Amino acid sequence: MPQDQQVGPDDAHLVARSLKQDHEAFGQLIERHASTIVSLAYRMVGNRAEAEDLAQEAFLTAFKALSTFRSDSKFSTWLYRIGVNKCKDWLRAKRPGKGPADLDVDEALDTHVAEMRTPERLLSQQQVAQELEQAIQRLPPLYREAFVLKHVEGCSYEEMQAVLGVSSDTLKMRVYKGRLQLSRELAALDPTQ
Amino acid sequence: MDEQELLIQRFLDHDLAPDERVTFLQMIDADPALRRSWLNLEMVVAEAGQLPRITPSARFYSELRAKIEPRPLGWWERLSSVVRAPRTLEWNLAGAIAAACVAIVSVVGLFAVMPSRVVEVTVPTSPAHTIATRTEQKEPKVFVRLILLQPEAHSVSVAGDFNGWNPARTPLERSDGGMWTATISLNPGRYQYMFVIDGKEWIADPLAAEETTDGFGAHNAVLDVAI
Repeated sequence: MPQDQQVGPDDAHLVARSLKQDHEAFGQLIERHASTIVSLAYRMVGNRAEAEDLAQEAFLTAFKALSTFRSDSKFSTWLYRIGVNKCKDWLRAKRPGKGPADLDVDEALDTHVAEMRTPERLLSQQQVAQELEQAIQRLPPLYREAFVLKHVEGCSYEEMQAVLGVSSDTLKMRVYKGRLQLSRELAALDPTQ
Repeated sequence: MDEQELLIQRFLDHDLAPDERVTFLQMIDADPALRRSWLNLEMVVAEAGQLPRITPSARFYSELRAKIEPRPLGWWERLSSVVRAPRTLEWNLAGAIAAACVAIVSVVGLFAVMPSRVVEVTVPTSPAHTIATRTEQKEPKVFVRLILLQPEAHSVSVAGDFNGWNPARTPLERSDGGMWTATISLNPGRYQYMFVIDGKEWIADPLAAEETTDGFGAHNAVLDVAI
């Protein structure tokens, strides 16, 4: 599980101190994982201000529920799970007319997206990154969270399984579908193909 | 997902065994379309890994810290938290014995210094005393209060059978309005007494209910003390 700044005492030590009302220790946990959680939220919701709000909610939830955290798992995995759930809640609330179940089923690939985008130009590195950011936002949420955790955050499938509570095989399928849709979208931007 | 797609996905997930990797690389070398599909997917993976991390704003940290750090408590809340905080009493046998000894000494000491029980008893036979009490002892005692109004006097004492007719033993105390009082403890019985004003003037108690001659031409006040 990637971490922002692994300097000083490890997470388990900081969690133990936080449980003894040492707020400075939890402050160190925030500084260590803030960038990861905000980046994850940004890739999930596509809006920086919303991403920071969701990350704040995730940290507050973790702070209040710290006594329920089981020390046999990694704090970062637990925090990731809280952050992902906050993003899912936000996505459900922001999709009027679609119920919570929409996020809990695998959605069919949007094969029309590639045809809709036909800019005939070569892309610079920066443009590719920008286009990829936008294409990630167009992924179905289940593919998006799997793809972001795997390829943006660099999680292993075992870590993703612990965060999302989904089997590795299912996650591999979601990552595959996400990669396929993104490759088609980016390929459509390249007139040489 | 056909077999070629499956191979590409497994290659990207690093799931292929070494011999499978060789087979896969030979396939993409021989098939341009497959190679293009693989390269497109590789580009997605590579670009995703290069996406910048988002650095949280200063507002993010300040707001979050403000929400987590406890607000300063008022003096009443601090006092309340100290009083209501659950505490665990740790003890051992030596400490328990010491505490028991302290408790026993305290109780015994309390009984030792506690005054005897006092019972009020009225003595209706003599107006010379307005308050009478007795203590419960083997030989009962009655407290008698003597009162004399002498605003002009500088000192007043009482002499009688109960103090060997020595006025120096029982002075009266002056209170507001020139009232002189003394409370003395007497056994039940009949007593004669006189007030001595300024150490030289002897007078009988003007409030006494009874007087008697002293055999020298003067009169003593008489006090009957009964339970």
